Formats: sequence, C-alpha cells, structure tokens
Amino acid sequence: MTDDIAYATIRELGTRYRKREISPVEVTKALLARIEKLDPILHAFVTLTADRALDDARAAEAALRGGDERPLLGIPVGHKDIYMTRGIRTTGGSALFAEWIPDVESTVVRRWQEAGTVLLGKLITHEFAFGIQFPGHRFPAARNPWNLDHIPGGSSSGSGAALAAGLVTGATGSDTGGSIRGPAAFCGIAGIKPTYGRVSRAGVMTLSWTLDHTGPMARTVEDCAYLLQAMAGHDAADPASSTMPVGDYLTPLRRGVGGLKIGVPRNYFFEGVDAEIQRAFEESMDTLRQLGAEVRDVRIPSLQAAHSFLLILVAEAFAYHERDLRERPELYGDVARERLLSGALVTASEYTQAQRIRSEICRETAEVLRGVDVLATPTTPKPATPFTVAYDTEIGFPRSNMAPFNLTGLPTLALPCGVSASGLPLSLQLSGRPFEEATVLRAGHAYEQATAWHTRRPPV
Amino acid sequence: MADPQGPTPQELTMDELRERIRATGITIAENRLAMVRKLLADALAPVRALDSRTIRSVEPAVRFAPDTEGNARD
Repeated sequence: MTDDIAYATIRELGTRYRKREISPVEVTKALLARIEKLDPILHAFVTLTADRALDDARAAEAALRGGDERPLLGIPVGHKDIYMTRGIRTTGGSALFAEWIPDVESTVVRRWQEAGTVLLGKLITHEFAFGIQFPGHRFPAARNPWNLDHIPGGSSSGSGAALAAGLVTGATGSDTGGSIRGPAAFCGIAGIKPTYGRVSRAGVMTLSWTLDHTGPMARTVEDCAYLLQAMAGHDAADPASSTMPVGDYLTPLRRGVGGLKIGVPRNYFFEGVDAEIQRAFEESMDTLRQLGAEVRDVRIPSLQAAHSFLLILVAEAFAYHERDLRERPELYGDVARERLLSGALVTASEYTQAQRIRSEICRETAEVLRGVDVLATPTTPKPATPFTVAYDTEIGFPRSNMAPFNLTGLPTLALPCGVSASGLPLSLQLSGRPFEEATVLRAGHAYEQATAWHTRRPPV
Repeated sequence: MADPQGPTPQELTMDELRERIRATGITIAENRLAMVRKLLADALAPVRALDSRTIRSVEPAVRFAPDTEGNARD
C-alpha cells in the first residue's frame, strides 16, 4: 500500500470515495495488511476487529452508493481501550479486565459508529490510563514509530503510535493530565482535549472524575475538527455533560488568525524546556504573527502550584479503584499499582487545599483569557522519553505543561511545530476559553497550513 | 498563595509515609516506597508551601445558572 492511502486525511478519503477512485473496503483491507506488518513492532493494537471493520466498510460502501454525505463515512478509526465497546473486549490495558467483554457501548463509540466510521480495533492504553506497562506486563507497551526506543507518550499510547504509523485515520483518546496531548506531541500528530463537559465520558473507564476529558486524535487539525464534530454534544449519561449547543468546528477553520490575540504565559511553562523546543516555539509564534495574529506575553502566577493536580488525580483514582486495589492488588501492573495506592495517602485537608489551588488557577486563567483569545505554550518541555527513563522509578512523576488545562477544563490542542536534533517531533499547545474549541482549532489550522511539520512521516 | 521567599516547605519523610500507610491499612512493597514518597512529596510541595489564610476564605459548593432550557444547573 502506498503512503497516500495510509496517511490520507478524512477530507481526502471522502473525496476519493465519492469520485469512486477507491472504496472503503479497499482502504480497510490495505490498513489491515499494514497493521499486520507493523503492529508486531509497535504494539499499538490490543484487539484487532478485522471482521467488524470489513462489515463496517461494506456498509459504508453501500451508503456511499446511495449518496450519503456524512463526512466520516468509511473513515477507519480505533478506540482507546478504556472506551467500552459492546461485544468487543475492553481491557483498560490491565490484566484485571484482560478478557472483559462489555455489554454496553460508550456514547462516543456509538456516535462515531452512527457517523459511519470503520472500527479497526482497540488501541492499547497505559494501564487504566495512568501507568505505563513495565516489562513483564500482560500487555506490552506501545512503541514510538519515530524511534522504537522511545515511548509514544501516554496514556493514549496506542492511539498516538497507530496514527503516526498510518494504521488508522482517527482515534479516540482521553486526557486527565495530558493523555491526548502528550502522545500527540511525542508522535508528531494532533489531538484536542475539549472543554470539560463538551464530550461525553459515559462508558469510558474513569481515572479522575474532575480531571478526565475525552477527545479525538488525528494527523491534522482539520481531521480533529471532523472527529470532534461527531463526538461533541450533550449526553444525559454523563453528569458533567454540558447542554451548551455544539458549534460548527469546520467552517471557522478557513478564517485564519488575522486579529486573533495570542497570550504566551511566560512563567511555569518554560521552566526546564529544552533549547530546541524553546526555539521551535518562538518560531511558531513568529509564524502566527506573520499570519496576522497579535502575540504578547502574559502571566498566570498561581500556576507555580499546578503540580498539586497530582494530589487530586491520585486521590480520586484511588477512590475509584479502592476495592480492587485492596482485594486483588496482584492483578495491577507493577508501579501502576503503587502509583494508584499513593492516593490512599492523601489527607482530606491536602485534597481540599489542592482543589482551592485549582480554583485560584481557574480564576487567574479566566482573567488572562479576558485579554487574549488563545494561550500558546510548548506542549511538553522535552521530546519523547526513552523507555530507559520511563522505566526509572526514581525520576518521579514529571511536572506537566498540560495538566493546568485539566485543572481549568479549557479546550486545548496539541500539534506538531518542529523536530529535534535526534529526529523526534516537537509540539505546540494552544488553549482557549470554555467551549471555544472552534477558535483553538482555527489557530492551529492556520499554523498547520503555513508549515509542513504535519506532513513528516516516521521511518517505520 | 505560596510565598517564594518563605522557608522551604517541610519534606514528606519516609517515617511520615510509613505512618500514613499504616493508618490507611494498605500495603506498598518496600522497594516502591521511595517512588511513592517522591511522587507524593513533589505533589504536596505546593500545598505545604500554601498559606491557606492568604487565599479566599469563601469557597463555592454549588452554583446555579439558568441554562437555555430554563432549568437550574450547576
């Protein structure tokens, strides 16, 4: 199969389907063959659903013949394996659920299915969206297609690896402290964590109720917009789901960034950032200026305390997992188990103070966003981590450029903005006001159209 | 919030960690204690540096705003 199919965008596939140049069944068969060839190296898939994919593709083909105009018709996707899929095992990347076959479907899976997507399979996740699989785990960790000795990021590790390697066109991710944006950054793709409440979490395994978000990952910002359009919207099954009407994410992409005000929070996000990431970031700001945006520095002082988000995360995660952790701890992976157990050690006062810090960060960030439309930062301070470092338990839980936007619940996009000297992707993070996904996507798309980073392909 | 000129916040010691583990009745393998201590110590640092009297003393519990359907929702 040629790369032009493996790496085709949603719009390109839709156009070619409707011109009868290629069919969903042909694309699906080609991707299944590519998965068969590459996945034994990458470990992106935990369950392949080849028969289901071909059924979906045949149905899409019939619908196309009938003139069906749905943009996701026949688009091959994979779901992070914490999204419950009726009749298809959902492991959570854990031995605890290694053979669990749900009889319910998550809302997002159902919505993408109704949009006409082709389900290629389930994509490996860090265990319960939290802990990378250490050697000897029931499920092997996914590898980064740009360099197999590096992690693809997590926890949506399979989604990032599969997209970068051209195994799927779109994928679901979830993001509690950066699990959509981190893999997007490390794998050289795009991913958006929508506003808290914009996309349903019903039928998705919980990590931390007040920080969890669901969202799409793809190779371009426009593809993210297509996928988000099909997953966003109120869902009574998720108590945090918003009734705010869903806007049009596609049309505004063409408006460019002329007149857009972009704020760069100079404190917190640049501490410990690699020089080449700093350079790539400043160049991306120059590009956005040349496109007509006004870029200026801003400050959010309370972010200095943002690492306390981890107290909220582990305390809530322990509350969710407590019974299993006490009754059958041996089924949790090494290290993931201890990280989850650490939530039991957070006192009520510490959890409460962390939430008060969070309120302050939300208040200050909202104040800054009264003066600018978008915040821009590097997505991560360093490129993809080597496995040797990821497996070193003495290093601790790294401070995150992404977690502040889980605390604030703001819509936040990651997209490629450069390449390191060692050939690894670098990433730009754009965040906006609540429910202004369209503005964030618009800024990202304008940058993407002016650069070629999203067209680079890994060596696999 | 945190006073950057203030004294270094008290570190979470291994003894304190062991006390907390005992109190909660969980088991953490000896060879993972250092990892857990570091995770918690890093996350606790901003909280321990916080003077809780300097941030607002009134916190919201629930907030009601009319939505488009005329119902009250948080």
